[in-house]
Amino acid sequence: MGEELKVIVFALGKEEYGIEVDKVRTIERLSPITRVPKTASFIKGVINLRGIVVPVIDLRGRFNLSETEHTEHSRIIVVAVADLEVGFIVDSANDVIDIDTDMIDSPPEIVGGIKAKYLRGIAKLGEGRLLIMLNLSEVLNKNEIIQLEQLEV
Amino acid sequence: MDMNAYLSMFIDESNDHLQSLNENLLQLESDPDDLSIVQSIFRSAHTLKGMSATMGFEDLAALTHEMENVLDLVRNSKLKMDSFIFDTLFKGLDALEAMVQDIVEGGTGKADVTSIVASLQTIMKSDYKSGDASPTTVPAAAAAPSISTNAALLDQFQSSILLQSMESGHQPFFIQVSLEETCVLKAARAYMVFDLLERNGEIVKSDPAVQDLEQEKFDRSFSIFTISSLKESELMEQIGNISEIATVQVTPLDPESLAALTTAPAAAAVETISAPAAAPAAASPVKQAAEPAKKSPQASGGAVARTIRVDIDRLDTLMNLFSELLIDRVRLEQLASEVKRNDLTETVEHMARVSSDLQNIVLKLRMVPVDSVFNRFPRMIRDLAKSLDKKIELVITGADTELDRTVIDEIGDPLVHLLRNSVDHGIETIADRIAAGKPETGTIHLRAYHSGNHVFIEVEEDGNGINQEKVLKIAIKNGVLTEEAGRNLTPDEINMLIFAPGFSTADKISDISGRGVGLDVVKTKITSLGGNVTVDSVYGRGTKFSVQLPLTLSIISAMLIKLGSEKYAIPLTSIVETGIVKRADILQVHGNQMIQFRNSIIPLVSLSRVLESPDYDESTEVETEIIVIRKGEKWAAIMVDEFIGQSEIVLKTLGQYLTHIHAISGATILGDGQVALIIDPNALIK
Repeated sequence: MGEELKVIVFALGKEEYGIEVDKVRTIERLSPITRVPKTASFIKGVINLRGIVVPVIDLRGRFNLSETEHTEHSRIIVVAVADLEVGFIVDSANDVIDIDTDMIDSPPEIVGGIKAKYLRGIAKLGEGRLLIMLNLSEVLNKNEIIQLEQLEV
Repeated sequence: MDMNAYLSMFIDESNDHLQSLNENLLQLESDPDDLSIVQSIFRSAHTLKGMSATMGFEDLAALTHEMENVLDLVRNSKLKMDSFIFDTLFKGLDALEAMVQDIVEGGTGKADVTSIVASLQTIMKSDYKSGDASPTTVPAAAAAPSISTNAALLDQFQSSILLQSMESGHQPFFIQVSLEETCVLKAARAYMVFDLLERNGEIVKSDPAVQDLEQEKFDRSFSIFTISSLKESELMEQIGNISEIATVQVTPLDPESLAALTTAPAAAAVETISAPAAAPAAASPVKQAAEPAKKSPQASGGAVARTIRVDIDRLDTLMNLFSELLIDRVRLEQLASEVKRNDLTETVEHMARVSSDLQNIVLKLRMVPVDSVFNRFPRMIRDLAKSLDKKIELVITGADTELDRTVIDEIGDPLVHLLRNSVDHGIETIADRIAAGKPETGTIHLRAYHSGNHVFIEVEEDGNGINQEKVLKIAIKNGVLTEEAGRNLTPDEINMLIFAPGFSTADKISDISGRGVGLDVVKTKITSLGGNVTVDSVYGRGTKFSVQLPLTLSIISAMLIKLGSEKYAIPLTSIVETGIVKRADILQVHGNQMIQFRNSIIPLVSLSRVLESPDYDESTEVETEIIVIRKGEKWAAIMVDEFIGQSEIVLKTLGQYLTHIHAISGATILGDGQVALIIDPNALIK
C-alpha cells in the first residue's frame, strides 16, 4: 500500500484531472478578470481574490487545447506552489477523492494532446475512470512561458 | 518559568534601553555636568541589568552592573566624567550590544568582558582611594561584626536592591536562624521561617539557597537577607515562636553596614553575580523589589509614550481586510441609493464616515518616525570623527517626520553611506579648517521634512565642497565618460558624476569610505525605492545631498483613466497636466506622432496601442484627451479615452508569476472590487 492522497478532481473537456488538495488554496466561481497586456494568450489576466491580486491562466490554453466559452460550471482553482500563486480556469470542479499513490502509473508520452512532462502520472479509479495527475511545477514553469512569448513576438 | 516566551520581549526592551543609553551618554558627553542625564542613564542601565539577570544572561548583567557602579559614583558626585570614562562606557555599551545581538541570533549572550570590567573597576578604585567613602566603611564594619564573617554572601547586585529599599523607606534585615539539634523536619521549619518573612516583606537572598533548604541540604543554621515591614523586635519574637528554633539573631542593615558587606566582593562581582540567575526563586523577588524603585523616578521623568509592538504582517493583513471592507462599502452605498430608504441611507453614510476615519488610522499605523533610523547616527559620527581626528557636530532636525515602515527599513544603509562620505570627504581636518578660516568644529545637518507626497532627507555639511575640476578629471580617467563629453557638462551634471559606478575621488583608500563603492549604491537603492537623490555643492563651502522619498510604498495618489471598457491608474507624481488635443494638431515627425506643448514639441504616445486595447482606438476621434507625463527632464503626452478622476490607491504586486510586464508597474483594487493595472509612465518615455 502506498500513501493516501487527497485530490481535487476537475474536468477539461471529457478528461478528468487531479491536483493534490494541499496545493489548492481555494476554488472560486468565475469573477471579472482584468486583462494584462503583452502576456501569453493563455494568461487571461488578474482577479481580486479577497484583496490579493492573483493571475489567472486558462488551463485549456496552457495545454494547447482549443479554448471554449466559459459556462456556469467553469471554476477558478487557485493553487500555490512554492512562492507562486496562480488561478486555473477549468470547465468544472466538483469532487474530492482519496487515491492510493500505488495506483498512479507513469504517464505515456501524450495524453489527450498534453505533453507527458506536465503530468505526474495517471491514476486508475476503477469503472474505467482515469484521473490525470498534474505536475504543477512544470505547468507553472516560467522559462517555458518566456520562450512562448518570444515565439509569439 | 519558560524564558522563551519572554525572550523576544527581552530583546526588544534591551535594544530600547541600549539605544537610550547611547543617546543619553552622547548627550552627557556634550554636557557632562547635567546630573539629570546621569539619572536617566542609571535608570536604563539598572533596568537592563535586572532584566538580563532575570533571563539568566549573566555576563550581560555583570557588565551592566559594573557600568552602573561607575554611574552611581557619578550620580552621587563622587566621580567626575572624563573622556577615559566615556570611552570605557561606550566600549561597554558596544560589548552589551554585541551580547544582545548574540542572543538575538540564538546564542547564549556570553562574551569575554574582563578587560572592560577591569577598566571599569580601575575607575571605581581610583575613586575609592581619593574619595571620602573609606572612612564610612570603618564604623560600618565595626557596627556589624557578626555580619562581616558572612560578607562574601552578598553580591553588589543584591546589595544595590537592599540599598534602594532603604532609600524608599523600607528596612532591610540580616537574620541568622539556627534550629534545635533534635529538630526532625528541618526543611519544614525553614519553610515556616520563609513563609513568615514573605508574608511581611521580600526575601532578597538566603544562604544556603532556597532549593537546598527545601531539600534539607543544610546543617542546622541558615541566614536570610530580607526587606520587612516588621520591626526588629517583632521579627525576633515571631520567628522565635516557631517551634524547634534554637536561636534567632536579627540585625537591621543601614547603608554603612551594607557598604561594608559589598566592598569585599566587589572584585569578584563577575563570579558572584551568577547567584541570582542560578537561583530563579531568588531572582523573582529581586525583580519585584526592583520594580517599585524603578517606577517612582520614571513617573517624575515626564510622560512616557505608551506603545505596544505589532508584527508587521498583521498590519498588512489588517490593510488587506480593510480594503475588502472598502469594496463592500461602495456596494452598500450603491444598494442604498437604489433602495432609497432614509434609515438605510443614514446608516450607510455613517458607516462611510467611520470607515474613512478607520482608513486614516490604518494607514498611519504603518508610519514610523525616521528617528528609528536617525538615532544610531550621533554615535556613528562621534566614533568616525574620533578615529579621523576631526571635530564634528551632528545636528538632527525633523526626526519625528513619519515614513512608511517599508521605506524606513530600506533607507538606513544609503544614509550611512552619505554620512560616512560627509565625515570622510566632506569635513576637513582641524588644521585645514583653521587654515580656511572656518570654525574648528565641522557641522553636519541631517534634516527630514515632508513636502507634498514626499519626504526629503538632507545631509548638509560645511566642509570642502566638490572640486569639480578634480571630479571631471577622475571621471575621464576612470572611463566614466569621454573628455569630449566632459566639456559640455553643466556644473550640476559634473556634481552628479560622483554617483557614477566605480567613481571615487579619495586620494587614498580609507577604512571609512573611498573604495569607489558607495555613492552609486546609494543612488541605485534610492531610485529602487521610487526616490531620487541630488547633490548641491559650493567648492570650499560645503555640500548638500538631498534624498527625495515617496511617503509610502503602499498607497499612492493616482489618476484613474478609461480605455474603452478597461480602467487604468497613472501615478500622480509623474503627471504634469491634462488636456485635449485635436486630431488636426498632431504632427508627424519621422513617422512618430508629436504635439506642440508649451513652446516645445513632445512625443505623443498612443496608450491603446501600447496596451493593445481591445475596444478603444483614439484615431477615430476628432478630439482626444491627453495626459502630459514627465520622467526627469523628458516629457511626453499619452492619449486616453476618458478621465475618471483622482484617487488614493493601494499598491499591489501582480505576484511572482507575472513579472516584468511592459509599461505596467503593479495593480490596485478599485471600489467596485475590480482590479485596475497601474501604468509605469517611465516606460512610456524613451
